Amino acid sequence: MTDAVVFDRVTFGYPASVQAVLDDVSLRLPEGSFVLVTGPTGGGKSTLLRAINGLVPHFSGGRFSGRVLTASRDTRMFKPRDMADAVAFVPQDPGASFVLDQVEDELAYGMENLGTPVAHMRRRIEEVVDLLGIDSLRRRSVRGLSGGERQRVAIAAALAAGPRVLVLDEPTSQLDPQGAEDVLAALARLVHDLGMTVVAAEHRLERIASFADVVVGCLPREVVAGSAAEVFDRIGSGPPVTLVGRALGWSPAPLSVRDARRHAATTTLRRPRGARPPAGPPAVRARSAVAGYDGVDVIPGIDLVLGTGERVALMGRNGSGKTTLLRLLAGLLPPRAGSVGTATGPPRTGVDVALCPQEPESVLFCSTVAEEISSTVARRSDVDPRRFIQEFGLADVADVHPRDLSAGRRLLVAAAAIAATGAPVLLLDEPTRGLDPEAKAALTDFLVGFTERGGSSMFATHDVELAAAAASRVVMLAGGEVIADGAPEDVLGDSAVFAPQMTRVFGAGWLTPSQVIAAASS
Amino acid sequence: MTNWARRGLLLVCNLLGLAAFAWPFVLPAAVGGGAAGRADAPYIGVGLVVCLGALLFVELGRGALGAKEVALVGVLGAAMVALRLPGFVAGFSAMFIVVLVAGNAFGPGFGFLLGATGTFASGLFVGGLGPWLPFQMVAVGWVGMGAGWLPRPAAWRRRIAVLAAYGVVSGFAFGALMNLWFWPFAAGGSELGWAPGEGAAFNLTRYGAFYAVTSLAWDSARAAGNALLVVVLGRPLLGALDRAARRMHLEFPARSIVEDEAEEPAGWPRPRVIGVEESPDSTGQDAGENPRRGDPRKVPQKADRLRVTGGEGERVG
Amino acid sequence: MSVHPGAWVVWGVGAGLVAMLTTNPFYLLPLVGVSWLVYSACRVPGPSARSFRTFLTFAVVALVLRSGLVLFGTLDAGNLASAVVEGLRLGTLLVVFGTFNSVADPYGVLRLAPRRFYEVGLASALALAFAPRMIAAVTSVRDAQRLRGIHVSRMRMLPALAVPVLENGMEDALVLAESMDARGHGRGRRSRYRPLPWTTASWVVATAAATTLSIFVITALGDNGGLSPSLFPLTWPEAESILVASVCLLAVPALLPKEGSR
Repeated sequence: MTDAVVFDRVTFGYPASVQAVLDDVSLRLPEGSFVLVTGPTGGGKSTLLRAINGLVPHFSGGRFSGRVLTASRDTRMFKPRDMADAVAFVPQDPGASFVLDQVEDELAYGMENLGTPVAHMRRRIEEVVDLLGIDSLRRRSVRGLSGGERQRVAIAAALAAGPRVLVLDEPTSQLDPQGAEDVLAALARLVHDLGMTVVAAEHRLERIASFADVVVGCLPREVVAGSAAEVFDRIGSGPPVTLVGRALGWSPAPLSVRDARRHAATTTLRRPRGARPPAGPPAVRARSAVAGYDGVDVIPGIDLVLGTGERVALMGRNGSGKTTLLRLLAGLLPPRAGSVGTATGPPRTGVDVALCPQEPESVLFCSTVAEEISSTVARRSDVDPRRFIQEFGLADVADVHPRDLSAGRRLLVAAAAIAATGAPVLLLDEPTRGLDPEAKAALTDFLVGFTERGGSSMFATHDVELAAAAASRVVMLAGGEVIADGAPEDVLGDSAVFAPQMTRVFGAGWLTPSQVIAAASS
Repeated sequence: MTNWARRGLLLVCNLLGLAAFAWPFVLPAAVGGGAAGRADAPYIGVGLVVCLGALLFVELGRGALGAKEVALVGVLGAAMVALRLPGFVAGFSAMFIVVLVAGNAFGPGFGFLLGATGTFASGLFVGGLGPWLPFQMVAVGWVGMGAGWLPRPAAWRRRIAVLAAYGVVSGFAFGALMNLWFWPFAAGGSELGWAPGEGAAFNLTRYGAFYAVTSLAWDSARAAGNALLVVVLGRPLLGALDRAARRMHLEFPARSIVEDEAEEPAGWPRPRVIGVEESPDSTGQDAGENPRRGDPRKVPQKADRLRVTGGEGERVG
Repeated sequence: MSVHPGAWVVWGVGAGLVAMLTTNPFYLLPLVGVSWLVYSACRVPGPSARSFRTFLTFAVVALVLRSGLVLFGTLDAGNLASAVVEGLRLGTLLVVFGTFNSVADPYGVLRLAPRRFYEVGLASALALAFAPRMIAAVTSVRDAQRLRGIHVSRMRMLPALAVPVLENGMEDALVLAESMDARGHGRGRRSRYRPLPWTTASWVVATAAATTLSIFVITALGDNGGLSPSLFPLTWPEAESILVASVCLLAVPALLPKEGSR
């Protein structure tokens, strides 16, 4: 069996930087394997992916030595478009990469470029539509699709051209748990049934870890490749079950909930002591509030109290009204009926309540991180911007252009700029999209500190592990109404879809790996 | 087609385009005077559209547009479309700021391309494909082209001042040109109208009067609006475009792209260009041997090194 | 049965040229009527349908302005008639364009682009596709800045609105360009997945328009049968029935069976 991708002593640096991003990297990816590429931000995951189909160096410029062979083609000799029939690339947010209007035309675009005859195109499109289950979407416009649908259409379009290697950049980062499941299942089917080689970069390892045949860990100074267990051990990361397994000395370290359960049966843990401090006085209260857009009431009537010192995780499917609720509480969307108020009246945006929107990039307009924060603080004379820079761990990038930072740090800058308004209530909409573990940890730390000092926070998220780690209370929405509201152990433990891995393995009451590890060692 | 032949063709086409606008002044009186001349005007009008079509054909149908250029024109064109929607406020259309800034950042060729394509797209979007469209495409294209020819002083204040002044000039020039298009049809025969039998100078004064009556106010608003937007937004927008060009590693003939050739740290293999130029390797290493494994500083084979300085149009290997 | 956009282009060009070729109100007015008929029968639902009204407004304005300019010269019957008639011609041309805009689908028109213009056509299609995104981005950026206490309604804070929109757009352009490159853009000979069919209806429309135009051109080259009625001295224009009939031929698209649901 030949290798689908070979890196032979590849060294690469982007045009404007002195540091090499890839330094003497050599690896082999066998044909027909599911490859997971992971690692901290700045380690070179994106660069590695783009080197596979030639975008690095042809599209990006820069200095390149060594060689990459993909499907037996040397990428130095073949530009990305000449590789298009052998390798397909799916970017992180495919919405920005759709070229045409109707789904079916988008599926055909790649083949049109290759000059495929029409009859052949028709056949391939039928195959690909069946494979990804998107028959109902054929006539629809690409602009109206949900995140999961978009991702599947993008994969289908990539596959239609008949490549042997499929490269995906964080395919599940924008998706809710169900959407992520669907996409991963489709990818697994491609590998197992069609013998394709799939190379996917991911931060969220909970689901994908058990699919991967080969894991590539991209660290700043080196790249390691091998089986999942080896590489996770080597780079010290992994899904929660692996982290726990490693700490508790389980061998072999589990990669999935199923593996972990076998070990868990032989482990006893003392029940966690969960005494949470009671919530303080209400910071924001919604009473029978009704809100919506264009005559549609997304929230038909809600009663909710956010107390001082609480960290509330707002969860629910896409379209359940999370964003609308946050906008309602922030004072951006006035209620059609009922009321929303703080102790002093309706919430004043930016003064009583601050909201960090779903796309944090919408907020950034200055040329350095420090400027971003100062521009918010300028309105208040009593606050030192450096405090916020410190609290979010941005001190080392204070003079960098915010858009030059990784997605995770960009979010932190946006959150810091919003927090700098000094509002005692901080709301965040889907803060963990595309977030790496370090940034997640920094955000969690900030929120804990913020609420301990008397602030309150509510964040909408799909990320179950974040909710487990950071929240003091979980609220579930469906159809704009609250269907569950309580402590994380209870709400998350009760749900089949939203339960964190620790709950699935050890039962209700266990949320995070650190919790389990602490209990086991005591 | 050689570079010079191509440039010559472009020049001829642009002059043709200019003639298409300015024909009332330059066509000899022999074409016809009085009623007969007026009757011929429609034929001339159609002929002009054909001329402009030829210009657009040559300028836009290059076929050498790569993915980067198409994507940039698409996105910036979308900005033009979006800005056109708020409608004309007394002739001022915010879409000009996009053309001014992008032309200034990316050069005259791109400026023309964006101006023409964005105008076309916004016509499509609002359902306003009118007989004026080829003229408008060329006129907006010229605004973008001119912005690309402006001097680009290193000092930001001066650069913005130059661009703002150009914004004023182009605001009036655009209006004058567009007015010119329908002047003979709109006003022929009246005191303000085109007199085919008279000479250029007479017609110029006539046109001046027509212009003052119809479009001077609008064009003043446009010129002022352009200048205002350039002053307020010019610097941040130009900065954003320059950054984008760097990240996409674009090679426009614009001088605004700065590529820092930083000092290479020791041990970093010195890159060489293959195919197009041969840059001498300072250490004289020209071996054709395969690199031995385990020795990171061994000179890789000539074919192993590649330095790419641009995405499209670059000869590689 | 749908009409190929190319057939609509033939119709539009034909009708437009007919309008340019004559100043006889007895040909121009029926042409306006025909255009209105075709618009009401064949218009594509959506924003383009509004174009007809817009162009009609332009036409009326053009007529009024053109006639008004007479005031700058000697006011006599001949000059006034001349002004009105020329305004009518301009107005008719605009109405024809209005019809064209409301019956032809913009993406369909773009697909007509010959190979040489493929990239420009694609860029235009992208501009159309991204425009709603941009407009939505402006709203969300404005909201986002409000959340920081920055009100972008003031001129000084305009960069806070414009820069994020542009920078987001630039990042989108980067992703798009990468994706296009990776999918083989610019590779060489392309094929077309869904070539638009040139239906019988398209033939009918195109032939009708071509016929009308030919009749008018032949008349113009020949003896100018009433195409440009004399204004000095002012006489009542005559109309030849065959020319009027051929103008009415342009209404053929309105008689075609309606398409099924789009």
